[in-house]
Amino acid sequence: MWDRKDPERLEQRIRLERDGTVTALSGKIDFGQGLRTAFAQLVADELDVPIERVNVVLGDTSQVPFDFGTFGSHSVAQETPRLRKAAAFARRQLLERASAKLRVPVDRLDTDRGLVVDGGERRIPYVELLDGTPLSGTVPDELPLMPERRRRYAGRPMPRVEARDIVTGRATFVADVRLPGMLRGAIVRPPGRGAKLRSLNDAAARKMPGVVAIVRQGDVVGVVAERDDQARAAAATVEAEWHLVPVEGPSADVPMRSDPGVDARLAGASLRLAQAYILPSIANAPIGPSAAVADVRPDGATMYVGTHRPFGVREQVARSVGLPEDKVRVLPQITSGSYGRNSHADAALEAAILSKGAGRPVLLQWTREEEFAWSPSRPEALLEVTAGLDADGRIVAWKYDEHTNVHTAAGLDPQVLSGTSGRNAVPPYTPFAAKVTLHIEPTRLRTANFRSLAAAENVFAIESFMDELALASRQEPLAFRLRHINDLRFRRVVERVAECSGWGAKLPPRRGRGIACTIYHDTYVAQVAEVEVAASGQVRLLNVWCVVDPGQTINPEGVRNQIEGGIQQSASWTILEELRHRDGRVTTTGWDAYPIATFNDAPASIEVLVEGDATAPPTGVGEPGAVPTAAAIANAVFAACGARVRQLPLTRDRIRKATAS
Amino acid sequence: MKLALTVNGARHDVDVPPNTTLLSVLRDDLALTGTRFGCGRGQCGACYVIADGRAVASCLLTADQAARMEITTVEGLARGDQLHPVQRAFVEEDAMQCGYCTSGMLISAAALLARDPEPDETAIRDALAGNLCRCGVYGRAIRAVRTAAG
Repeated sequence: MWDRKDPERLEQRIRLERDGTVTALSGKIDFGQGLRTAFAQLVADELDVPIERVNVVLGDTSQVPFDFGTFGSHSVAQETPRLRKAAAFARRQLLERASAKLRVPVDRLDTDRGLVVDGGERRIPYVELLDGTPLSGTVPDELPLMPERRRRYAGRPMPRVEARDIVTGRATFVADVRLPGMLRGAIVRPPGRGAKLRSLNDAAARKMPGVVAIVRQGDVVGVVAERDDQARAAAATVEAEWHLVPVEGPSADVPMRSDPGVDARLAGASLRLAQAYILPSIANAPIGPSAAVADVRPDGATMYVGTHRPFGVREQVARSVGLPEDKVRVLPQITSGSYGRNSHADAALEAAILSKGAGRPVLLQWTREEEFAWSPSRPEALLEVTAGLDADGRIVAWKYDEHTNVHTAAGLDPQVLSGTSGRNAVPPYTPFAAKVTLHIEPTRLRTANFRSLAAAENVFAIESFMDELALASRQEPLAFRLRHINDLRFRRVVERVAECSGWGAKLPPRRGRGIACTIYHDTYVAQVAEVEVAASGQVRLLNVWCVVDPGQTINPEGVRNQIEGGIQQSASWTILEELRHRDGRVTTTGWDAYPIATFNDAPASIEVLVEGDATAPPTGVGEPGAVPTAAAIANAVFAACGARVRQLPLTRDRIRKATAS
Repeated sequence: MKLALTVNGARHDVDVPPNTTLLSVLRDDLALTGTRFGCGRGQCGACYVIADGRAVASCLLTADQAARMEITTVEGLARGDQLHPVQRAFVEEDAMQCGYCTSGMLISAAALLARDPEPDETAIRDALAGNLCRCGVYGRAIRAVRTAAG
């Protein structure tokens, strides 16, 4: 599902423009992961041009090759070989053209920062080799790449290419798009999810200042007005009668691993421990609420959106407004980080309906309340785990039941459940007999993609439980883990994080350190968290150390930033966040009711060591940093005050109660 | 209602409905979209501007109130091509990911440095405590403000 089998076409990947700049094309989307920068580095190296000349176009459906979507920290892993090969192929074509022009064999020519050179006096800028014929052709599978020593950008820390636009305010986020004649939209919300519209009285709204149109398509009702305030004020006066339809989620049982003899080994184990861990639903909670600009005309539509899957949006919008897909152009804009939430094209679909109805371009930006109330969220999870240890303190059997709901916009697709809702449910430790089962159970909450999907939940349970097993068998938590790690890269990140954090150091009273580690989509990550727990039960995260091995590293600074951000966000989930909902309706709809970490909660330091195995292919870093943090913090809380808290968030009450027991 | 606003040192005449927020005027009438909408309740800092020297939420100010103030937005921090020290430091420290909250952070930081050129870490955290960042660049932003302070 992640890979396309179509041959790669050069003209869909790399374009040499007449002004001498290079356009690199990818269907991936940058939400702040730094993809634009990493891709520019790769192409600049392979094509041998200064990086300033490379423009990266992401997700424009009229230009880029089809892409399923930006998920699962796959982008760098997937696109690196493709962009490299395409750029190398482009460079070879330029050398061949220069060879014909200069009547010099190709092997006597070389390139030098945007020029073909013959070793003597002759230097031809790439652009002079265009001669009105664009570079094109099927990119060969096998192609010599630039030797490591000639790479000037990849592997070096680079500031992100859009940084200057961001700090000067010039960057155009979705809601910053301004089109001639553009109006503003507001949606009339039903009392509950999936409600059916029975009747509508918009007489008052039609007379409100600035109102241009009231639009209804199916169960979507909205107001289009000159100004945002006017659209919202008018939407509030629309009287709609709704029929509430109870929404039940799907259910399914998915065996993830079923080694024989688990029950017998558990029964025969010399030490047996069972625990359950609980995580609440949490909100993606982007700082910028969902937004889209739609310009739908009878003969075609242009959509300015934030999305993980531009081609998916194209298909949905085309169907909704009744246009053929090739008449819909989706132009992804810079967007507020949304960590998976934009896998659902909510605002885009609504804006398209409003634009079609009003016959004008429409900007729709959700309110903060709408963003909390109507966005999909990460579902709750209950993780039950039982393990048996032999007399020597080694795990011999492991039984794990994960109860949760679907974690992606793909819904109950049995082919993807184990990799999404079941992500990282199978422990990375060896060797023992394991039975791991995913139970998809109904919830009325609207659920969908959130950074690392269920991995953050499963690793919280697994890594908390590893500490509990170590304690129950009187073993040291780090040593206990190392006894069950054979993979050398995994072992190395765990040992290194212990080393660089000074694991085992004596700490002042009420302070403690916890360790946790995982392998997430072939990225190895280990963390140590240090906390202080006040007598009140208040947790303060003081320091975090993290060692990450993402294979070959394109932009070490970009990796550090992503991992730090993942840790900071995950610390916020762990200590502060719980999305409350009732009958499918979210009831925490503002930052006051759903606090996230602020500058005052940020730890004194998050030290990230990027120690990629240069011989391994590059892997993703957008999500893995967020995965082990919850357990590292919970384990640190236990070390600090003896409170083992198996339910997140780590509130003062829970910690006080756990301390007392 | 007709109003004259002073934004980034220039006078702007606008005609907007009563109770229109400063944020809406900046974004919708003056095309200064670097100031961003986040919550409309003054709880996230994405829409901060400097009003008479203080960082304030432009979603809570009416345009009418703002007409009596000197307003600086993120677009007004640089002098031509010369970035403000906090802008330069945020680029150097890569103190951003998606960048949506960056304008507001820069405004808080610039207002802080104007009144306290050598803030310690606590002062920086306090000054930026109203700026929420979901990507989690707090540590880098603190470093950047320190760098900008020299």
